[in-house]
Amino acid sequence: MRNFRAALRRLFHAVLLGIVGAGIVHIVVLLLVPEFSERDAWSRLSMASDLYRMNRLDAEAGGAPVVKSVDPLFYATACRFDLEEGMVRIKALGNVPFWSVSVYDRNGHNVYSFNDHTATGGKLDAVVLTPAQMIDVRRDLPENLQGAIFVEAPINEGIFVIRSFVPDDSWKPIVSRFLDQSSCELQDF
Amino acid sequence: MLKNAFLMLLSLAIAIGGGGASVWYALKVQDGVGAIRIGQWTAFPDIGTPAADPYSKARVAREGVLALGRAEGLSFVAENDAAGDQLKRECTYKIEGGFPTARFWTLYAADQSLGVVETGKPRLAALQSYEVLRKPDNSVIISVGHHPMPGNWLLTNGSGRMYFVLTFYDTPIASSTGLSDVSLPRIVKAGCDA
Repeated sequence: MRNFRAALRRLFHAVLLGIVGAGIVHIVVLLLVPEFSERDAWSRLSMASDLYRMNRLDAEAGGAPVVKSVDPLFYATACRFDLEEGMVRIKALGNVPFWSVSVYDRNGHNVYSFNDHTATGGKLDAVVLTPAQMIDVRRDLPENLQGAIFVEAPINEGIFVIRSFVPDDSWKPIVSRFLDQSSCELQDF
Repeated sequence: MLKNAFLMLLSLAIAIGGGGASVWYALKVQDGVGAIRIGQWTAFPDIGTPAADPYSKARVAREGVLALGRAEGLSFVAENDAAGDQLKRECTYKIEGGFPTARFWTLYAADQSLGVVETGKPRLAALQSYEVLRKPDNSVIISVGHHPMPGNWLLTNGSGRMYFVLTFYDTPIASSTGLSDVSLPRIVKAGCDA
């Protein structure tokens, strides 16, 4: 009897230890998921295209959407950049009902966003750069960058997404053209 | 000796299995930490920002989400109707009430992964605020179902669980201070296809 009770106590002990361990594993796994995920937005985009290449996110462009959870009434395009190589400039021409832009860091966190009401004349012309590069640019602002929106982001690798609203079918070609003609390139300075 | 090894294995199994399963479950449930509930609608204003909690961060990494920024908009997801029942694709619903201030909003019927419901027709299972008919007091009544309905009609198709995703674009409610006194439309079940 005593033997049995001792065994039971040891079993209880082991289960308790297991539960405490489960708590620790829970926290460790939770914190490691972002680090080791191969399904995050950056990894998905890097499989689809190179750095500084615009890549449509909606299914309209053919094939399954690269990054999900895009509003069905929206078209979107994304490009990856690396600020260590220099600042990146994003431009898109044309008039669409609504566009918005987000800058994400390597982990897919939104670090900055703005929309067409923020821009001068509703034109999409933005430069993403690090605070250090900003200091250089401030010293002597080039003529061709005067109308641009400067996004100071303390990141290296990042993702840039343009979203644009498609109110109805008649807007589809216009919005498509707006996104397809958008450019994302290293800006010399 | 053998008993000790067995107990150790048991502890390890509970620790690894339980820890892994609990993370998986926590990331799967829609309702989570950092959620804001208004009526039947749930939003995660912090998701995708560096200030998000570890659960949201893990969810963002695992699902490859690129969340809307504060200047873009805010999404609300509903999985239950006003009576607390799960939304079904084979049922007819009425979404009625006023909508908070925004430049425009979109509403779509979604499946489990929050992608838009495939209708098999040229008409999308989505509506937006520029095309809806309004009542004199600016409120909106939207009928959701398989069959055409007068007024605003949101087409759905198929059967199984359904979610409604309501997104407000360029809206003051996206800044968290504006969220306290926002009221969102009610979702009322009207009936189901047998």
